[in-house]
Amino acid sequence: MSEATKREGDAIGVEALRPEATVEVEDPAVESRNLTVSYGAKVAVREMNLRIPRHQVTAIIGPSGCGKSTYLRAINRMNDTIPRCRTRGQLFVDAEDVYGPGVDPVLLRRKVGLIFQKPNPFPKSIHENVAFGVKLHYFASKEELETIVRGALEQANLWDEVKDRLDEGALSLSGGQQQRLCIARALAVEPDMLLMDEPCSALDPIATAKIEDLIFELKKDVTVVIVTHNMQQAARVADFTAFMYMGKLVEFNRTRDLFEKPRESLTENYITGRFG
Amino acid sequence: MPTAAERKALTKGLLKLNENMLTLAELSELSIRKAVEALAHPDHALAEDVFTLDQEIYALQIEVERTCGDLIALHAPVASDLRTVTTSLKMTTDLDRIGRYAKDIAEISLQLPAGAETWYGKLPGLAKMVDHTIEMVDTATDAFVRREAERVRNIAEADDAVDALYEATFHAIVQFMKDGTLEEETGARYLLVTRYLERIADHAVNLGERIVYMVTGERVPRVRFADRAAGRDTASRREAKRP
Repeated sequence: MSEATKREGDAIGVEALRPEATVEVEDPAVESRNLTVSYGAKVAVREMNLRIPRHQVTAIIGPSGCGKSTYLRAINRMNDTIPRCRTRGQLFVDAEDVYGPGVDPVLLRRKVGLIFQKPNPFPKSIHENVAFGVKLHYFASKEELETIVRGALEQANLWDEVKDRLDEGALSLSGGQQQRLCIARALAVEPDMLLMDEPCSALDPIATAKIEDLIFELKKDVTVVIVTHNMQQAARVADFTAFMYMGKLVEFNRTRDLFEKPRESLTENYITGRFG
Repeated sequence: MPTAAERKALTKGLLKLNENMLTLAELSELSIRKAVEALAHPDHALAEDVFTLDQEIYALQIEVERTCGDLIALHAPVASDLRTVTTSLKMTTDLDRIGRYAKDIAEISLQLPAGAETWYGKLPGLAKMVDHTIEMVDTATDAFVRREAERVRNIAEADDAVDALYEATFHAIVQFMKDGTLEEETGARYLLVTRYLERIADHAVNLGERIVYMVTGERVPRVRFADRAAGRDTASRREAKRP
């Protein structure tokens, strides 16, 4: 660790990421290099270096305000819409720097979908919700559209529950169904990656279990990055887990190792509740 | 992340678990001491004490299992907390087995014919085997209390010494039986005693391995006796060469 890096780490009470506190990832789906995101004078994510494995589920955990959602939203440039938000460093999705010149954020978001904390279906029919993104990006015939909508709803484990009421309003669905509809909507445009920002925090345990089952199945087709406050959820669904604290990445490890034998005392103190 | 209140409740549960584990380890060790004492100086009351201790150990084992179940179900512990709970669950089995072997020795003390106790002192290696075995359990208990992995990392070495004493005592008993100085039934029962002590030492090794995992998260690799012996030879040769 260079003196300069150490000093910077010390300034916020967290040392820079130690090589022992991370694992090698070959051919990452996402790679951030010295990514710093700030809101005005406040630095939310600081010098973040992380390689997110392809076709795996990666959880990001950490206390409120540690920068995990900011980092997640940086991946598909959702922070662009926030006034005074500034991003420095590099972030590669499939080896392309998404903050490089000429990158179309709309096309990026087709490739990298985002699921929010609270389900946010459009006030339209179930069918229209799923078809919306497809119509935006492609010209699809009616038959093609039907196939895509059905495929996305099946992939989101929702088809059997809504197949007879596709024209009903999406807002008539339960919270858990609405969240799976949002996932189907994101899947309909065939993304490579799904970002999930606490997708189950507004759901009951049964709806949560359905989403978790879905996440497990989805990784066959997409890379999943999930921000969660629920450590048991991270332990259940994620292959890898990143722990962030005060804007910095403290540890990135296989989930089993991180929860059984964390390499940093800061991680241990956080996950066992011995914090502060 | 658990809240402060949840952490407090978990800490309370872990403290209770720690206390029960310590008591369990102490009772197991006490039962060996009493059983061996009953063997060396035939004393029915001492043997009865060991049977009572066995009951207490079993009850405490159930209590520890219940506490561990509650901690897992109510607090979903992780990291060192999880290792403490899972290790305690495994250690109770070893400690219970140690108590059962002590009980078996106490039973033998009641079955020996009058005068057989004099063989306790005559059998070469037996008293030493008892001391080594008790020391191994004591060391493991202490390492658990102090969370000191290094104290038990090489506990298998101590077991090698017990195994060597077991072999020596075994052959001595067989020889005494062959030449007719040791009556067959008494000899056979002493053979069982040595076997039980050797098994207790094996369980102490298990305790040591589990304590290393609990403290550090590392799994101690199982090394064959021959490889350990070869390692010792190399180390002693290196030591001898030092100026």
